[in-house]
Amino acid sequence: VEVKQFFGGINIPHYKSFTEHKAIKEASLPEELIIPLLQHTGAPNEPLVKVGDKVKAGQKIGATDKFLSAPVHASLSGTVTAIEPRLYMTGQMVESIVIAVDKNQDKLDLVDNDLDKVTKEDVINAVKEAGIVGMGGAAFPTSVKLNPPPDKHVDALIINGCECEPFLTCDHRLMLEKPSELLQGIKLLMKMLSVEKAFVCIEDNKDDAIEAVRQQNDDPRIVLLRMPTKYPQGSEKHLVKAAIDREIPSGGLPFDVGALIQNVGTCVAIYEAVKFGKPLIERVVAVTGQNLKDPQNLMVKIGTPLSHLINECGGIVEEPAKVVIGGPMTGRAQENLDVPVVKGTTGVIVLPPDMTLEDMDYSDCVRCCKCVEHCPMLLYPNQISIYCEAGMVELATEWNTMDCIECGICAYVCPSKRPITQLVQRTKPLIRELLSKR
Amino acid sequence: VSDTQKFVVSSSPHIKSHETVSNAMRDVFIALMPVTLVSIYFFRFYAVLTIAVCLVTAVLTEILFKRLMHKKPQLHDWSALLTGLFVALLFQATTPWYKAALATFIAVGIAKELAGGLGWNRFNPALFGRVALVILAPLYAYVNQWFQPLHIHLGGLDTITQATPLAMLRAGLEMPPVSQLFFAFPAGALSEVSPFALILGAAYLLYRKHIGWRIPVSILGTMIVLTLITGENPIYHLVTGGIMIGALFMATDWVTSPFTDKGKIIYGVAIGVLVVVFRVGFMITEGVAFAILIMNAFVPMIERMTARSQFGKIKVVQVPMAENK
Repeated sequence: VEVKQFFGGINIPHYKSFTEHKAIKEASLPEELIIPLLQHTGAPNEPLVKVGDKVKAGQKIGATDKFLSAPVHASLSGTVTAIEPRLYMTGQMVESIVIAVDKNQDKLDLVDNDLDKVTKEDVINAVKEAGIVGMGGAAFPTSVKLNPPPDKHVDALIINGCECEPFLTCDHRLMLEKPSELLQGIKLLMKMLSVEKAFVCIEDNKDDAIEAVRQQNDDPRIVLLRMPTKYPQGSEKHLVKAAIDREIPSGGLPFDVGALIQNVGTCVAIYEAVKFGKPLIERVVAVTGQNLKDPQNLMVKIGTPLSHLINECGGIVEEPAKVVIGGPMTGRAQENLDVPVVKGTTGVIVLPPDMTLEDMDYSDCVRCCKCVEHCPMLLYPNQISIYCEAGMVELATEWNTMDCIECGICAYVCPSKRPITQLVQRTKPLIRELLSKR
Repeated sequence: VSDTQKFVVSSSPHIKSHETVSNAMRDVFIALMPVTLVSIYFFRFYAVLTIAVCLVTAVLTEILFKRLMHKKPQLHDWSALLTGLFVALLFQATTPWYKAALATFIAVGIAKELAGGLGWNRFNPALFGRVALVILAPLYAYVNQWFQPLHIHLGGLDTITQATPLAMLRAGLEMPPVSQLFFAFPAGALSEVSPFALILGAAYLLYRKHIGWRIPVSILGTMIVLTLITGENPIYHLVTGGIMIGALFMATDWVTSPFTDKGKIIYGVAIGVLVVVFRVGFMITEGVAFAILIMNAFVPMIERMTARSQFGKIKVVQVPMAENK
């Protein structure tokens, strides 16, 4: 199938070879789980348990009646030892439920529903109960996303299997190892959204995954698109542009052009929630990087501390520069390994100093235009960086800084090593303030 | 910062390419090597002296001005050396060394450092320095006598007494064969000895993606069209004078050319028009240098006029509505 390109973007070396050929392995039992009550975009959950309570695997332990939310569950059975603020991947302290894990674990109580009989409401309820959020990293509550405003008509379901960030391989392995679950999840979504076309988008550096999904696909309404490998192919705006050639307006969302995007991991989770009533208590995490002894794709229980995963992968060799949750372009650097894996954790990457170039000073813009050439939002990052650096918020607004998706390409390519993306991140709140005064 | 912090925390992106300004500047330096070597082959010590004087002056000027402004010299970015080499290549080999040194001082000190340093200069420093000496010529003639005792005599060279091909073209003299002018002809400024060597260097920069095709193609294309219209021989205009180093190296300078794609074409076409006007209409020397410097001044305006609209800046997309609407 011919795929339309979007303008800009860049071929970054993808460093996926550390883990792309390694099958998903079940991680061993951690001693302790840290389950943040807020690990999605939206309102925080209230704890449903007390310190000292016994909890069972799959038991709901945090919930709220606010609309934009997703409950959390105990990923393993054990005893609640504390409910206190713990370090979260954003660097903030977030109220979390700490569980001492039992040595012996029971099997999850699962059901077996007939997918032909479920209704739209059943799906939304099951997704809400299972606490499913977008698993590509954004962690937006899926039950809300599946219920678009009535004035928005969705006619195309887009499944994001691009995984365009370097290093990450969790979606790749999932597509390779669970293609039929993925396809059943897609059919379920098509039925509940009454959508006639679904597009499964996979980059051409994952041809084995494309083949695996193609082999299992028996539905002509599900179209497989082989996307060019190009960062940020998985950005929702650029995915919609490339897959169905519609341009999401500035400040808009996919359903403004009739599209709904789901990550492949989320699709599989939706299938498992609706079919078996399985809550979102585990996910695939790519634990990788040059400074790791034995990189792996691990099936990890939500709440497992990073230190446990690093040990599982043979530990760190040589002093790394950074440990990043998510991809290296948009992920978050961690100060230590006490942070837990949450629903939106796609990967843990241990980066060496010669990739982060952290100590390098930056200098003035020499107007080489490399950022202009590659900016997928067609902005002028060179000008924006100068205005943001100087605190000229008015001019930064005028040059459309708010449209920046913070993909990180400009800061990556800049020969002056200017932290363009970081300057934008810092200036956006100031622009919001300015706009609110107008 | 907690006391358990082990790793560096900063915001994304966490990886950077290994491309640096120094590497790019060094590549431009490398790209100038073919023409530099050809000029040294023809003009021997004259060329070596001019180049050496300019390089040394450039470095000393950068150190002086950075010190004066309490900044750290940035010699490792190669930009001072590069400006020095550019200035040297814009002079004839027989130019007195103090004249070349003065041009370099103006280029690095005034056009670049006083403008704010690399990245902030509105005008191409090397051309600015070169043209400053043209404009200051009357004054310079007066000052010249002080410097006269400092003149270094390097003995005779046959080639250097030749009239420049561009002057011959203007005077309507019989021209040397085009192939000779294109590959190697010992007359004019150091950079004018071999358009072929310049194209070779520019091809390297194009391959390394440091320059684009838009500016050179629009300058040279405009020149070909306009010279044809005015009944001149376009080939001779392309292989003589400063047009090649101007179109391939000076006009493509990152700092002083527009950053918009459309802007690059407008800029190139305008330079092409001005060069032909100066050369054919007014017989001005240094027409290419003046053309580029004049257009340097218009760059911010061109950029404003030609800025692209961002992704998603579109007319409202018609989405088929549900049946019941």
